[in-house]
Amino acid sequence: MMNAFVWTLWLLAGLIFLLSTRNPIYLIITLAGLFILGNRLAKAKHISAWVRSNLRFLLTMLLLSTLINGLFSHAGETVLFTIPPSWPLIGGNITLESLAYGAVNGLVIGALYILFNIINLALSIKQITRLIPRAFHPIAMMVTIALTFFPSIQRRAREIKEAQMIRGNPMKKISDWLPILIPLLVTSLENAFLLAESMTARGFHKQVDLRTPRNLISLILGAFAVFSGWILQLYRYPAWITIVLYLIGGGLILLTLILIGKQTKITRYHHEGWTRLDILMSSVILVYLISFAYVSLADRLSTLSYSPYPYISIPVVQTLGVLFCLLPVFPMVLPRYD
Amino acid sequence: MIKFIDLTYQYPLSDQKALNQVNFEIPPGTLTLVTGASGSGKSTLLRCINGLVPHFTGGVISGQVRVFGSNPIAEGVETIAKKVGFVFQEPESQFVFDTVEDELAFSLENQGIPRNEMDRRIQEVLHMVNLSHLRHKNINEISGGEQQKVAIASALVAQPKVLILDEPTSQLDPRSADEVLKFILELKTRLNLTVLISEHRLERLLPFADLLMNMDTDQGVLFGEPQEILPKMVQVPPVIEIARRLSLSPLPLTPEAFPRSKSVTAAQSRQVEQTQLIGETEVCLAIENLSTRLGDQHVLKGINLAVHQGEILVLMGPNGAGKTTLLRSILKMVPCSGKITLSGVDVSKMQFAEVIQNIAYLPQNPNDLLFAESVCDELKITLKNHNLAETSVDLNEFLAYFGLTDKCDQYPRDLSVGERQRTALAAITVHDPRIIFLDEPTRGLDYQTKQALSDLFHQWRKAGKAMLLVTHDVEFAAHIADRVAILEAGQLIFTGSPATAFTDFPAYQTQTAKIFPGKGWITPENLIKT
Repeated sequence: MMNAFVWTLWLLAGLIFLLSTRNPIYLIITLAGLFILGNRLAKAKHISAWVRSNLRFLLTMLLLSTLINGLFSHAGETVLFTIPPSWPLIGGNITLESLAYGAVNGLVIGALYILFNIINLALSIKQITRLIPRAFHPIAMMVTIALTFFPSIQRRAREIKEAQMIRGNPMKKISDWLPILIPLLVTSLENAFLLAESMTARGFHKQVDLRTPRNLISLILGAFAVFSGWILQLYRYPAWITIVLYLIGGGLILLTLILIGKQTKITRYHHEGWTRLDILMSSVILVYLISFAYVSLADRLSTLSYSPYPYISIPVVQTLGVLFCLLPVFPMVLPRYD
Repeated sequence: MIKFIDLTYQYPLSDQKALNQVNFEIPPGTLTLVTGASGSGKSTLLRCINGLVPHFTGGVISGQVRVFGSNPIAEGVETIAKKVGFVFQEPESQFVFDTVEDELAFSLENQGIPRNEMDRRIQEVLHMVNLSHLRHKNINEISGGEQQKVAIASALVAQPKVLILDEPTSQLDPRSADEVLKFILELKTRLNLTVLISEHRLERLLPFADLLMNMDTDQGVLFGEPQEILPKMVQVPPVIEIARRLSLSPLPLTPEAFPRSKSVTAAQSRQVEQTQLIGETEVCLAIENLSTRLGDQHVLKGINLAVHQGEILVLMGPNGAGKTTLLRSILKMVPCSGKITLSGVDVSKMQFAEVIQNIAYLPQNPNDLLFAESVCDELKITLKNHNLAETSVDLNEFLAYFGLTDKCDQYPRDLSVGERQRTALAAITVHDPRIIFLDEPTRGLDYQTKQALSDLFHQWRKAGKAMLLVTHDVEFAAHIADRVAILEAGQLIFTGSPATAFTDFPAYQTQTAKIFPGKGWITPENLIKT
């Protein structure tokens, strides 16, 4: 199993690539890789129909995005048909280009969803929460509990629904669902109270105070530096000034969090060691990220962007671009987790 | 040592004291059984020992608490957590993580125990509680008894000196409950733990208690050795009740300690009369060769059962035997094979609405049913759901039947546990169904509340209603059952008289049956002194 930090790096690289491209061919190649990887992880965890459910989501997104963009954006020259202009919002030409643009966006949304779904398959709840800095231990606990509670809330909802049906509630109208919501809300609150009590009884408490003057000042200064960098970037100040401000701000926030984290007495039971493969994998992903940043900034990969407007055209593909689509296959070289 | 000196506590927004001038001293290495009616302050008292009261609850506290030299009121819960382990009533509600191992590590992580030490302690405690094989298991996939053991192990892993358990067996079948109790006693001896257990069903724990604490609203807190306290208590287990009737002294705490020389004879046998009566009444519900599969699992196999008009049929069996699934199968909530008839009409040909008009169902958690603004609104909603006019029932008269006369306008969730249970029962029966299904109706109820429930069931029986009741509570079942069915691993292994069920099956033997083997007596009412 790959280290959680390596998976996070993989996720980051995936996000950057998917958000940087609108080329449908690159997106389709990436999606194919994501499906193969996801199917492999799902099989290892004995989860059936993973591909089918994700494919269903992807197709739904594709359809919705195509329809919405087609109906609301009337740009493009290839007119398929026209909706009377008097119709509010959707009135105008329905063009092939606007439909294609919507479809590309649908591919991006679907790929992002599958990317996160793969992370969900690859990492346990505890691994995910362990990525949250120790300074935010209570927040990490909150996330863990929220994720753990979801299946139990679903189970409770089913039990309450059955109890109400047995009482003669036909469960047909929206108002018929009120008897489920109220008991569910009340029992969830009761359970949350019980859990908080149990956690307190087992020694859970706020270890450090984030709001001490020193912590607050350094966090505010860090945030101020990052914000200033962003504002200066917007007003097109020289890039080095904004980069310096980002680094100072980000570094200050990170340093403060590390120092706060060190004050906590909490220890962690699970230790994620770094294997040679983890180091290799993170190096590969880092090289990927640096190369991608370089080719993007140096404008060596113009085929990343694609616009069907004003006339639809076949997307152009570069070998380098196809290589960047291979990100999903990186984790596949690892021994399977089972 | 645990010491309370003049402890008084009042919850925020409450005008009554939950604890008033409580004084006691518990020596180390003892087992104290804390008992009393619902709302008498048992949980509050236990929570004072680890500081949850007042640190978690707020409120006004005065007096002193000392726990092995520590002061929970001054030091707070996180410090006392190292000395006091607390196991709550519902294990599934107290789990933070989804795997056994992570759950055990939680309190150790909070204490900042180094990783190697954590690993050693987890291994040790899992070995001690015989759960090593479940270390990496998902908590939701293990049985109720195992979950309870995990909850206890989670408390023990911090190596506390005191272990507090709030009704640890209320959700377990008799066999699992005995197993968990034996296990607690073993741990107490092996680790020299000071144990406090709050429990309604005294019969299980009384023989092992060194000290008994009875929280009574009238008499205050009674504390001392069981022999000293039991004569002063109103609600006692059957063995004590029988001993009192026979004027025995000292009181035997277990059926085994009962003197054999006492001559007693049977009172009018209720069972015989009832069995004769049932034979003459109409069959309301007939089940033939019912089988149910859930996923790959064959949960019920070839069940044949009949419920008569005016009969209380008690269905017993271990956790996971298929009792609730049987009720759900009859109600068409789970697909099943076989034939079910309601007064001769095939259920498979009936609409779901038609089935539930005839059968009322009280699920394990009655709170699932309650959502309206007032008790009366709950009843009106059921009437509306069944297309009946609100005026078709005199609600005040109907509520009086449940002992809820003055509760019509009250918010149901503000009522006591027993009143909430009766409100749920009123809400499911206001449309006058012929059959009533009850799933674990006595869970977490004290003796008095159970008595009120028992009276209600007898009234229903007289009115000709048929009841199918699922319970783990052997003594309660012996009091009300006309007939008993025992389900194990999806198959009915016994259907017959309570006298046979509660004497011939060791797991379901009542205390009376144990005291008088071979006589067929199962409750103290079955015998009189000669």
